[in-house]
Amino acid sequence: MSMKHSLPKSHLIGLIIGFFIVLIVMPGLNMLPAGNPLYISTFTLSLYGKYLCYAILALSVDLLWGYTGLLSLGQCLFFSLGGYALGMYLMLKIGTRGQYHTDLPDFMVFLEFIKRFPETGGLPPHWIPFRYFWFAAAAVLWVPAVVALVFGFLAFRSRIKGVYFSILTQALTYAACLMFFRNDFTFGGNNGLTDFKDILNFDLNSASTRRVLLIVTALMLLATYLLCHWLTVTRFGKIQRAIRDSENRVLFSGYATTNFKLFVFVLSAIIAGLGGALFVPQAGIINPSEMATDKSLEAVVWVAVGGRGTLVGPIIGAVVVNWLKSVATHSAPEYWLYILGGLFIVMTLFFPKGIVGIPEQYRAFRQRRAPAAS
Amino acid sequence: MISCISRTPHLPGSLFKKIIYLLLAAALATASVKAADVRGQLVEAITNDDAEAQIKLVEQFSTSTNALVVQTLTTWRQGAVYLYDAGGDKKIPFLADSTTDADGKMRGLQLSDGQPVKDASGKVVMFLSSDLTPADTTSKLRKAIRATLDLLALSNPNPNIRRDAAAKLGLVQNAAYLEGFRLHLETEKNPEAQKALQEAIAITELASNQRAVQLAAIKKLDGLRSVMGLDDIVKLETASRGKAPELAAAAAQARKDIQQHINFSNFLGTLFHGLSLSSVLLIAAIGLAITFGLMGIINMAHGEMIMIGAYSAYVMQNIFIKIFGEGSAGFNWYFVVALPFSFLTAGLVGMLLERCVIRFLYKRPLESLLATWGVSLVLQQAMRGIFGAANVQVYSPAWLSGNVNHEDVVFAYNRIFVIFFAIGIVFFTWLLLTKTPLGLQVRALMQNRQMAACMGVRADRVNMATFAFGSGLAGMAGACLSQIGNIGPSLGQSHIVDCFMVVVLGGVGNLQGTVSAALGIGVTDQVLQPHLGAVMGKITVLTAIILFLQWRPAGIFATRGRGLEG
Repeated sequence: MSMKHSLPKSHLIGLIIGFFIVLIVMPGLNMLPAGNPLYISTFTLSLYGKYLCYAILALSVDLLWGYTGLLSLGQCLFFSLGGYALGMYLMLKIGTRGQYHTDLPDFMVFLEFIKRFPETGGLPPHWIPFRYFWFAAAAVLWVPAVVALVFGFLAFRSRIKGVYFSILTQALTYAACLMFFRNDFTFGGNNGLTDFKDILNFDLNSASTRRVLLIVTALMLLATYLLCHWLTVTRFGKIQRAIRDSENRVLFSGYATTNFKLFVFVLSAIIAGLGGALFVPQAGIINPSEMATDKSLEAVVWVAVGGRGTLVGPIIGAVVVNWLKSVATHSAPEYWLYILGGLFIVMTLFFPKGIVGIPEQYRAFRQRRAPAAS
Repeated sequence: MISCISRTPHLPGSLFKKIIYLLLAAALATASVKAADVRGQLVEAITNDDAEAQIKLVEQFSTSTNALVVQTLTTWRQGAVYLYDAGGDKKIPFLADSTTDADGKMRGLQLSDGQPVKDASGKVVMFLSSDLTPADTTSKLRKAIRATLDLLALSNPNPNIRRDAAAKLGLVQNAAYLEGFRLHLETEKNPEAQKALQEAIAITELASNQRAVQLAAIKKLDGLRSVMGLDDIVKLETASRGKAPELAAAAAQARKDIQQHINFSNFLGTLFHGLSLSSVLLIAAIGLAITFGLMGIINMAHGEMIMIGAYSAYVMQNIFIKIFGEGSAGFNWYFVVALPFSFLTAGLVGMLLERCVIRFLYKRPLESLLATWGVSLVLQQAMRGIFGAANVQVYSPAWLSGNVNHEDVVFAYNRIFVIFFAIGIVFFTWLLLTKTPLGLQVRALMQNRQMAACMGVRADRVNMATFAFGSGLAGMAGACLSQIGNIGPSLGQSHIVDCFMVVVLGGVGNLQGTVSAALGIGVTDQVLQPHLGAVMGKITVLTAIILFLQWRPAGIFATRGRGLEG
């Protein structure tokens, strides 16, 4: 029993190699002098840091879609909420180094928040606790969780499922996106939060901070992976998959499926939020376009490309697709959408199990061919 | 050049008399001044050294029906008529040509005959925009030009301009204009311009110093439900309170009536805009209601079908422009051809999509969402490649542009058209689904796919036809949308969420649900917009939909079945 639930050997080896590279090799190569042929620039380092954040997001999508059968098109909302929560802390950390040299973040000076919030000197009251890192770090977790809890409770209680769930999560994300685009929503409007200077008194632009961020991200990804893995091999995971395959049977067997789904939904929101929080200091910006509906769909594609229903798949998918995106948008920007669109179509039509499932598909194909040949 | 001008006789005397004369002349449309003379007169007015004389010369033009006068006076007032010093005291007024040569220099077009400015040796003079000398105007002169232009507008052939001019002149409350208004009113045929003139007269009379005239004017404005006069009535009400009770009472009554009228027309306007927005939503969503509602396929590329329809209309427009020329009578009919053309193009693309992608995914609806999203990305990029990333402009045919004003609500023709078109499409779809063999088969498949297939319904073919039909409807929606706004590669994206909301809210698989959802969303949106702003209105509507689905998870009109799933 326990053997069956432990990791497949190939996945384990792949994981070890992958994490060896991002945890030790890449930061090590970054420490080489800039002229060295093996040198990896800090920019590339942060690029891979971002990929790993996306991998965390992809894991949250997979936990919902691959294991519970809930295709959420709102994961980017939770990702951004986490990002905004940490972004607010980073924004206040800039202090007087902004364009206007005041304590207030630049956009608040520019939008004359002093008139709206005169009693706090222009700072909206809900921004005040974000001066403290611990508060922002907690908000990264609980803000997405609360949003997911409320929405999930409403949605699952009225038994909204399948396609309807997808469309409603998309509508939720769309509404939130419109909201964040507004200037008077106090989160920087169109431009979002940017120009961060430092985190916990470490300079965000220095290579050493970036190295640490990459390592932290990789460790978080590993932790998320292990958590998801543990979750899926327990009894809980079984019920999760049973809900995916036939919710009514599970319901009639006496399980409150609504609670299970709600728990998974909230957990995945927290994971996504965590990914967003790690993303912001490495990307240096968070704005509402991060929660546009197409971003959520892109995250779903990473999972589909890597292989849904496995935990290694989403990580591979997120890194591969985003790496491809960087390459394609750099060398042939006009073809990127063709490639992405094509990936969507080809993966769903021909490789429903993604990259991870290709060997298995090949074996099944061989087996089908073999009797015919003999 | 200047000497050949024959001045029209100028009637001296009070401003009052002068204006009567001018307006009378205009009303009788005596275009006695020939085009060449007009040019000469303009030159004289511009080059005259005496400011007083200039004003008089300018005032003469209020009788002119020549388009050149309006144009020149407007440009002159803006300081874009320039002078060329031809030596001696002779100054030649000219307008700058819009095209510049390689050095950034341009030719000057003489006002007197439209020919390029030449120097003494007959060579064309080139000007740099930095060393042009504009013909000076004093503020008094500019005011006179302004007044002349306003008066000219009263005899403009376009009734809308006449209406606006009357409204503007009325608000000045200058008693000198009164006679002119009355003269124009006698010959005015256009009801809107007539009303504007009547309002102008009454508003001007409000400023009279005779109580009886004022009272009559208030009553008149009250009867006309004049929105324009409201401000002046309120002013009069506050001014005469205590001093002239009967005047104040009449003004108060008029104010109440007019405000009531404003509320009513606001209500009517909101209703109309809500209806037209609903129609847009309905036209855009009805195709989706068919593919999603009846077939259970989530077509994320539905928005791109709309886009394809819109671009088809654009292509058709360009073809018509090429054949008939822009603005010609033939061009006006392009839209009639564009509608079926859009239907066919989008339907064909839809059919291809169904054959190549969707038919493999009927059992995996969530994955059809992904694949069609991929298709939508490809289609968007393809359109960017073909037509460019920028928005393109589709010109409405003459019979779709313009509007009517009724009860102070502006009804734009294209919006009225959209409403009727939506009604037509719903009726047509209803007919197809309930009265034709195809409709019967579609409904049979929707209720029980296997059973219908067993009974001999060729599911494959019906699916293809239904999908093509749904896509075709989306295409027509695109053609319709092209009449309302610009079209670009992301046109579909901006509609897809709304479309899904309409279908989900209405309840899947029935037309009445789609219609009522579209109406509900459209009207609610328009009612909320003035209070909350466009974005907050939209957010509120989205939230309301999510909450509404708590109460009725399957939409307004749920299709009830006995199956547990579905």
